[in-house]
Amino acid sequence: MTTAAAPIPATGTAEAAPVVAIRDAVKRFAGLTVLDRCSLVAQEGEILTLLGSSGCGKTTLLRCIAGFLTPDEGEILIDGRDTIPVPVNRRSVGVVFQSYALFPHLTVAKNVGYGLRMRGVPAAEIGRRVAQALQTVSLTGFEERYPAQLSGGQQQRVAIARVLVLEPRVLLLDEPFNALDAKLRGTMQMEMRQLIKRLGITAIFVTHDQEEALTMSDRIAVMRAGRIEQLDTPEAVFDRPASAYVADFVGASNFWNGVASKGRVVLPDGQSVPTALDGEVRVMLRPHNVLIEPAGADQAGWRGSVRFRRHVGALMEYEVELADGASLRVVALRDETLARINVGDRVALRLRDPAACIAFPRA
Amino acid sequence: MTRRPLLLRLVDELLSGRGIWPAVPAIVVLVVVAVIPFGVLLSLGFSDIVVSRGVIVSQELSLRHLTTALADPLYHTTFRRSLTLALTTTFFCSLLGFPVAYLFLIGGPWVRRIILVLTIAPILTSGIVRTYAWIVILGGRGVVNATLMEFGLISQPLRIINTHWAVLIGMVQIHLPIMILPLIAVMSRHDSRLEEASANLGASRLATLRTIILPLSVPGLGTGAALVFTLSYTTFVVPQLLGGGNYLNAATMVYEQVVYSLEWSKGAVTAMILMATCLAVLLVFAWLTHIGTRWTRVAQR
Repeated sequence: MTTAAAPIPATGTAEAAPVVAIRDAVKRFAGLTVLDRCSLVAQEGEILTLLGSSGCGKTTLLRCIAGFLTPDEGEILIDGRDTIPVPVNRRSVGVVFQSYALFPHLTVAKNVGYGLRMRGVPAAEIGRRVAQALQTVSLTGFEERYPAQLSGGQQQRVAIARVLVLEPRVLLLDEPFNALDAKLRGTMQMEMRQLIKRLGITAIFVTHDQEEALTMSDRIAVMRAGRIEQLDTPEAVFDRPASAYVADFVGASNFWNGVASKGRVVLPDGQSVPTALDGEVRVMLRPHNVLIEPAGADQAGWRGSVRFRRHVGALMEYEVELADGASLRVVALRDETLARINVGDRVALRLRDPAACIAFPRA
Repeated sequence: MTRRPLLLRLVDELLSGRGIWPAVPAIVVLVVVAVIPFGVLLSLGFSDIVVSRGVIVSQELSLRHLTTALADPLYHTTFRRSLTLALTTTFFCSLLGFPVAYLFLIGGPWVRRIILVLTIAPILTSGIVRTYAWIVILGGRGVVNATLMEFGLISQPLRIINTHWAVLIGMVQIHLPIMILPLIAVMSRHDSRLEEASANLGASRLATLRTIILPLSVPGLGTGAALVFTLSYTTFVVPQLLGGGNYLNAATMVYEQVVYSLEWSKGAVTAMILMATCLAVLLVFAWLTHIGTRWTRVAQR
C-alpha cells in the first residue's frame, strides 16, 4: 500500500491514528434527517458496533462508509484520507450483507475470487488466495458448490471469505446474523469475533440486538435518532449507561421514580444511591441487582406481590407489583427458596449493590 | 347409493379443482382450434387432392408436395430470408430491449412507470396500425426523407420503404415490447444488494452489468428471444406492408399459395416446414438458455 497521502503524525505520539473517522456526518432523505451530525472513531483492529433500534441511522451510517450513500455534510476518513471522492468500487472496505448477497450463478470459488478477478489478479494467484480464504473460514472442499447448495451458516462464511480475500482495511457487517437460527447465531458470533480478532481487521458491525453487541464488540456505539448516544466498552455501556435510553436499550432495566437530595436517592429498602442530581429522578435498577425473598409477617421495608413469574432456563424471572402500583422485574438464579415464591405471594425486595444503580433526571 | 348424473358429477369435479378437470375447458378449446386444424393441415400436406368449387372431391396419400418443396430453390431462398430476418430481429430486440430493462432495474418508481406504459401501450395498438405508421415515417415523402431533404443532407428521397431495411425496422419496433416484458419480469426480481456487493468487491458498473446482471437475466432473455423469434419468423403483416408486396417470406408464401394460387397442399407443406424449422430454432434457444441457467437447477440443500 502506498503511504504517500497518509498524514504523518506531527508529534509522533503513541496514540495511533484512527482507521475510520467520521466527523459530523449528516444524511437526509426527503427532508428526514437520518444522520444528525454523527461523529465516531474506530481504532486499529477493534470491533466497533453500531447498536440501535430500526430507523436510528446505523445502517445509513454503514452504507455511507461503504460508499453506497454519500453524506450530505461531514467527513468520512479512512486512514486519515477523505473517502467521499473515492468511488464505491475503489474503497478498501469490505461489506458483509445481511442477506449475504452471494452471486447465485457463481460457485463458491468464483464468488470468493470475484473481487480478485475484478482487480485483474492472475488466475494462479486467485486460485491460491481463494483456497487460503476458504481454509480460513473452514470451507475447503466446497469450491464447486453453488450458494443455493449451502446452509445459512456456510453462506455467511462464503460472504466473509469473499471480502477477507481482498484484505480490506475495514470490514463492515450489516446485521450478518439475522438470517441464522438462534442456536447457530451464538456459535457464529463467537467464531466471527475470534476470526476478526485473529486477522486483526478493524470491523464496524451493525445490529439491533443488544446481546449480540455485548458478545461481539470491543466498543459499542449506541445510536438514537441519527446521533451517537454513547460510545464505550460493552461493560461501561451496560454498567454506566449515559442516558435512560441507553439503560433501557442495553440490558433490561427497571426504572424507579424517586427524589434526590443532598447527593443521594433513598430507596424503599433503606439503601441509598449516590447521585449528582437533585429533585425528581428515575433510578435504573438492573433486574439481577434486586434480591427477592418471601416476606415475613413482621418485616418492614420494600414490599410487593408477585404478579407473574416464569422460568428462563436456570433463571427465574419475576414481575413484582409494588405498593404504589409500579412494577419491578427481578431475575435470579433458581434455587429452592425462589421455587417457593408463587404468583400472588407477598415478597420483600432488597438491592444487592446500590453503587450499580444510576439516577437519571426525570423527563 | 344413487349415482348423480354424469353431467352433474363433471360439474362437481370441475368446481372441486381436482385432477385435470380444471384444464378441460382449455383443452377443449385447444383441440378445436389447434389440434384438429393441424390434423387437417397434415392430411392436406401429405396428399394429392382434387378441389371442385371449394370442396375436396378426392384425396390420396402422397409425399409429392413435400419432396418438391424441399428441392425447390425458391423455398430455400424464402426460408433463408425468413430465418435471417427473424434472427436479426431477435438480435436487435435483445440489443435494444436489454438497456431498457436495465434502466427499469436501476430507475426510480417514476422511471419504471414510464417504461411500463411506453412498453405496454404499443401492444394495445393494432400491429397493422403501427405498420402503417412506419409507411408514413419511412415513405418517399415520409418524415425521415422530408427531414433529411429539409436539411439538405440528401437531394432526392432515399428508397427506404419497400426494402428489407423497412421490414427489419418495422419488425424490431413491433416485437421490441415482447422482448422487454420478460426481461423486466426477471430484472424486477433482482436483488439490488448483488450490485452493491459487486461494486464493493471492486467491479465497475460495466463489469457488474456483464458479470452479474446479464447472466442473471438469461431466463428473461431466453423467454423474450423465443417469443420474438416465433412471432417474427411467422409474421405476415409487416413484410407484406413494409416490403411492398414483393418481400416474400415463409408466411407470405403460405398466404399466396393458399389464397391466390389455391394450392392448399403446397400451402400446407410450406406451413409445416415453417413450423418444423421454427421448433428446431426454439430447441436451440431452449438449449442455450438451459446452459445459461444451470445454476438455477443445482440440487437445493
